[in-house]
Formats: sequence, C-alpha cells, structure tokens
Amino acid sequence: MAKLLTTLLILVAAYYFTHRALPWLFTAAGRALGFEMNPSPDWQKRMKRFRSLRRGYYSYLIITTLFVLSFFLEFLVNNKPLMIKYDGRVAFPAFAEWGGWLPFVKDSRHINRKSDFGQVGDDEVDYRLFAAEEKDPSLLDGQIAEREKEIKDTEAEIAATKPGPGSTEDEKLDYRDLQETVPDIEGEIAALKKAKAVFAAGKASIIMPLYPYSPYEHLMDMPGRPPTGPTRTNILGTDDSATDVFAQLVYGFRVSLSFALIVSVLGYIIGIVVGAVMGYFGGWVDILIQRFIEIWASIPFLYVIMIIASIVQPSFILLVIMLVALSSWLSMTYYIRGEFYREKSRDYVQAAVAMGAGDWSVMMKHILPNSLVPVVTFAPFAIVGYVGQLVSLDYLGFGLPVGTPSWGVLMDQGMQYIKYYPHLILTPSIALAVTLYLVVQIGEAVREAFDPKVFSRLR
Amino acid sequence: MNGMITYFVRRLLLIPLTFLAITFMVYAVLRVVPGGPIEQAQMQMRKAMMHEGGGAAAAGVAGAEAEMQIPADAMKELKKYYHLDKSIPVGYGYWLWGILHLDFGQSYVYGEPVLKVIVSKFPISVYFGLIGYFASWIVCVPLGVTKAIKHKTGYDTWTSVLVFIGYAIPGFVACLMLMVFLGGGSYLNILPLGGFRSANWAQLGFFAKIWDQLRHTAIPVFGYLIGGFATMTILMKNSLLENLGADYVRTAFAKGLSERRVIFVHALRNSLIPITVGIGQAIGLLFAGSFLIEKTCNIPGMGLLGYNSLIQRDYPIVLGTMVFLVLIDLFGNIISDVVWALVDPRIRFSK
Repeated sequence: MAKLLTTLLILVAAYYFTHRALPWLFTAAGRALGFEMNPSPDWQKRMKRFRSLRRGYYSYLIITTLFVLSFFLEFLVNNKPLMIKYDGRVAFPAFAEWGGWLPFVKDSRHINRKSDFGQVGDDEVDYRLFAAEEKDPSLLDGQIAEREKEIKDTEAEIAATKPGPGSTEDEKLDYRDLQETVPDIEGEIAALKKAKAVFAAGKASIIMPLYPYSPYEHLMDMPGRPPTGPTRTNILGTDDSATDVFAQLVYGFRVSLSFALIVSVLGYIIGIVVGAVMGYFGGWVDILIQRFIEIWASIPFLYVIMIIASIVQPSFILLVIMLVALSSWLSMTYYIRGEFYREKSRDYVQAAVAMGAGDWSVMMKHILPNSLVPVVTFAPFAIVGYVGQLVSLDYLGFGLPVGTPSWGVLMDQGMQYIKYYPHLILTPSIALAVTLYLVVQIGEAVREAFDPKVFSRLR
Repeated sequence: MNGMITYFVRRLLLIPLTFLAITFMVYAVLRVVPGGPIEQAQMQMRKAMMHEGGGAAAAGVAGAEAEMQIPADAMKELKKYYHLDKSIPVGYGYWLWGILHLDFGQSYVYGEPVLKVIVSKFPISVYFGLIGYFASWIVCVPLGVTKAIKHKTGYDTWTSVLVFIGYAIPGFVACLMLMVFLGGGSYLNILPLGGFRSANWAQLGFFAKIWDQLRHTAIPVFGYLIGGFATMTILMKNSLLENLGADYVRTAFAKGLSERRVIFVHALRNSLIPITVGIGQAIGLLFAGSFLIEKTCNIPGMGLLGYNSLIQRDYPIVLGTMVFLVLIDLFGNIISDVVWALVDPRIRFSK
C-alpha cells in the first residue's frame, strides 16, 4: 500500500517536472540566450488544437512523463540503494551509478565492500540482504548459528583426520588447511555479531529503490532453474539468465525510446539539409542527388544491417549510425525537397535574396521555419518505426550488445519457452504495443492539429 | 507517351547501376571479414576428424592442430575456386560474371549450387507473401471504404482504434502473440506452432493435406496482414474521401444518380488507384519483412534461408539472397510505375 502511494506520488512529481518545470526552464534558457520564445500565432493555434484532441494529448502527457521519468530509473528500479549508512559510513550507490558520467560523482565502478557493511566477503554488498537485516536483525542469528555449526563440523573433522606417522604429505597439507579455516570462520562470526550490535543500536539504515532489482544482475539464489514465473518479489518473473523481467521491461522502454528518438533526430537533420539543398538549388544538384537517393533507397537495409551486425557486434552508437545512414535520412528528403521547391519562389524569399542574404541563411532562416510541418507531423510515426526496427533487430539477434535490457531479446527467449513461460513473450509484446499505440495516438493528434483535412461530402 | 517511354528507359537503365553498387558494397564487406570458405572448410575437416575417432583427437591437441591445416595445394585450389586469390574488384568481376551466367557459386553449408537452394525456397515465400497481400486487400479495402462512408461516426472511431493497434504491433509480434494464445500449450491449442507443413504431410489424404496447409498458413498470413493493415486501410479511406469531395462526384450526384452508384462505380474506381500502385512496394516490403515472420513461424522460405546462412556464415547464399532481394525491390518499383500508368490515364512521367 505504501509502495503504491509512493509510486503515485512519484508519477505526479514526474508530471509536474516534465510539463511544468522543464518547459519553464526551456523558455527561460531561450530568453536568456536572446531568442524570441513566443510561438507565432500559427503555432499557438496548432498547439491549442492539439490540446483539444484529448486522446492524443493525454497520450502525449503519459509518454513524455514516463520517458523523462525513465531517466531516473536508477533511483526507482535498481538493486543498489539510494543511501546506505552503517556504523558511521555513508554511501549513495544509486547516485554513483546514475551519475557515473558526471565529473564530480564518485566513480560508478566503485564497489562498496561487504566487509565494510557488516557482511562477509570482499565483493559488492548484497543490499537486499542488508535491507532485510536492518528490518529484522534476528536474521543474523541464523547466519551466526550456521557458522557455529560449521566450526563444530570442522573441529570434528580435524579430530578424525589427525595425521599419524603413516600419513602422506597431501593429507598433512589438508589437515593444516582445515586447522586454518577455524579462525577464519570465527572472524566471520565476530563480524556478524558486531553487525548485529550495530543494527540493534540503530546505527545502520538503508533506503532501497521501490523495486529492488536491476536488469543487469543475475539472481543466482532463485529456487529452481531460470526462467521462473511471476512471484511476489519478482512481479513478472525472471528470464533464462535469471534476470528480472520487470526491470528489463522498464529499462527497455528507456533504451527503445531513446534509440528511436536519436535515430529520428539525426535522420531528420541530415534529411532536412540534403532535401533543402536539392529543393533550393534544383538543376543538376537535384538530379544527381535524386539518382543517388533512388539507388540508396533500393538497398534492403534490414538485411545489410544484419550482415554488418553478424560481423561486428554493434554497439548502441554503431546501430544508430547504420540505421541513420541506410534508411532514416531518406524519407525526410522527399518532403523537404518539395517544400523548398514550393517556398523558394515565394516573395519573401525573393525579398531576402534581394537584401543580400546568403544561400545558407535564406535556406535555414527564412525557408526552413515555413517548411517544418511535415517534420513535425511525421516525427511520431518515425519513432514508432524505429522502435519497431530496434525490437526486430534485437529479436533476430543482430541488435544491441548482449546484456542490454531489450524487449526484442526477451521475445526471442520467449520463443524457446513458449509452452511453459508465455509471460516472456506476452509482457514485452504488450509493453511494445501499449507504448507504440500511445505514440501513434500522439502522431494522429499532431497530424490533425497541423494539417486538418476537412473532407467535404458533396451530395 | 514519348515521355513515358523515356521515363521507363531511364528507370531500366538505373537498375544495373543500382544493382552493381549494392552488390559490390556487400561483396567487399564480406571479403574483408573472417569466416569465409577457407575457415568453413577447416571447420568441416575438424568436424570430420572428430567424427573419425575420438582416440585420434585425444592423442594430442598439438598433433591434431598440425593435421588440421589444409594442405597447401588444396588451399590454393580452394582460394582459386572462390577467387580469393585475386583482389576484391577482380574477384567481384568473376562473381558478377558468374551471376550473369546464373552461376551464384556453391553453398558452403548445403554443398549445392546457390541458385538451386534459393529457387527451392522461393515458392514458399511467394506462397505466404501473395496470400498475405490478397488477404490485406480483402480486409483493408472494405474496411477503408466503410470507414470513409461513415466518416466521423462511432463506427469510424472504434475501427480507428483497431487500425492504430494494428499499426503499433509489428507483424512478427502479432504472430508471436497468436502462437502463445492459439498454438501453445499455455492457452488454446488449435493451431500448429509454426512450420510449413506437418511432419507427416506426405501420408495425409487429399483434404487432410489442404486442411493441414491452411492451419499452418493462418498465423503467418495474419502477421503479413498486420504489417500492411493500417497503412492500406487509411490510404483507402483517405483516397475515397478525397474523391468523394471531388467535382465529378458532385456532377454525378447532380445528375441524379443514387448514392450507392456514385460511391461504388464512380468514386471507388478512382480511389483504388493509390492502392493498386502500391503493389510493387508491397512486394519488396513483403520479402524484407519475411525474415522476421519466417523466423518466428519457422517457415523454410527465403527469409529464414537468408537468416540461417548469415548465422552459419554461408556467404554465397547471403550474397545470392541479397541479389534476389535487390532485384525484387527494383522490379517491384518498375511494376508499380507500369501499373500506375496502366490504371491512371492521367499519369505522364515527363516534366
């Protein structure tokens, strides 16, 4: 119940951040840089119309809020705590992971050792265990009892294997090893007892994320062989490498949408420049580029990407580059070329030329703002397309590097377990379908707002 | 008419150029990377040796390693056969010369001529592609027409939701979900889990054969249908709406024709043009999308062949599949233009 309430609170906060704070910041920054930040009456009208289209507008609010929120996923869905305090030692592992790219944040590869936080071992603290112990220090009794039993067993073994005069060298060595383990275990017990005291004194605390599993960890202590079905703790089960499915889904949302966004933006920039050059200069330039585009567009790009990806394991950036170069810049050239062709004969362009504006400034300052309608109206559909491409490539096994949370990889895994674990197929499919459906709704509303086709029925 | 002929001549001339550019690029990429026929032959030799006797392998790894080297003259022979001893452009020239004589080379994996392998898979892809294409006509045209007639009514709104869902779900994902619900042990078990035919197809009776084939066809065809469903329906709807607002429709109404006649005889004929013209692109798209659906439904067609040969590094087949894909796409575009010129007498391709 408390978790549900927190989730709601976070969503509301994310909404206000995305749709109140960010636009305000954007406008303020623009003003500070000396831009005129008031949209033209034309755009104001379009935006008003867009807001009046309820289904699309709400989809827009939902998707943008979730997308902005997804950049803070490390604080919400993670196996690392926001804060951990133990006997005067304080650490912020989730912040370190989230801000690893920031210069002033502690190196994200920094490991909080178990021995420093009342656990036994040298690797990273098991934060979920720490949280459980913090809630209920008697859990430590079990661990202590276990080790005490271990000591008893070892002592019994020592007594049984005491080497006599006839023993071999190996047996003597084993005996010595056994003798040395006893103080080790005793040390562990002492550490655990100290931990218990620290917990009991309330000198330890931890704030775990809402959903304490990460898409990058393998849950080794799950009962049975992975994949597993949904349980109370792993609400959508795990996949066949024992990684939590829900965590992969939500991180996959961020990866997919960011990928699609970057591919479309880069493709749009190149497409706009090329299309503008074609439409503005016309003549031989236009014809040559047109022929080139015709050839380029006939490349079966999915297969070519598969071929290249079968040779070099593509990274996120390489995949973006391939998709931009092979397909995403093409579509915009057609529209922008047409728009520029039409606009360049208008009077305002002539006027700008007569006033001595250079080609580049005429193209980008004068014509482009008047030819943005296709750019805006096609963007949501382009995003739908590229999310689909990424999922397809991941599904075929030619996508992002292994270990990246991805919907396509989950579906591919689900194929193998289709009879027993259908949730491996269904959950990413539904996530994909819902996300893309919302984006399509946005696209439909944007199109309606920018380009209202009034079909008159004559009869 | 004259302009049209020059247009088509230009388009036809562009085909070889496009073809050369694309195949050369891919050929060069595949030549540069490791895992070619030589490595393949070595792998096969290794496998054969492992098969011959486990004792020999156990005798000593170093010894086996030395034995695994292909003899120098055989190596030379192999390289010569695949033209690997020549530079990339010359090797490409030989490959192209072979293609022009319909010699696509020898598959490393199947050990058969590439053309033979591809041609044996081709009809299966065509079967699913064509049925998928016609299925989308049967579904999308009536839906688009009724949506246009009932524009801005409740029917239009809720079918739009359906169309958007169709647009949001990639075809292969639809196949996957159908397989979970209808073909798995998890829910209903009424359709087979992929495959082209049942294993015991040959022993079935005539009608059982047809029934079996239909059962295996349903899910993939649904996937192909979903792939083009939204675009085609909306195209149909908008095109009919545009025509319904045109002057000639007003004239038809003015002379007292019934609404039914105006819509179905006058407007519908013109509004079918954009969809008909899409046939060429549709062909290209069907084959491009077949990787996903054929892999999902385990249909042994061109897509699955291309996919498997990529994984097995069977590059002659990869190149051969590539050639087919490019040609299908190029001729598809030309077909579209021809169809367009045929169905729409207003089209003139000259400036």
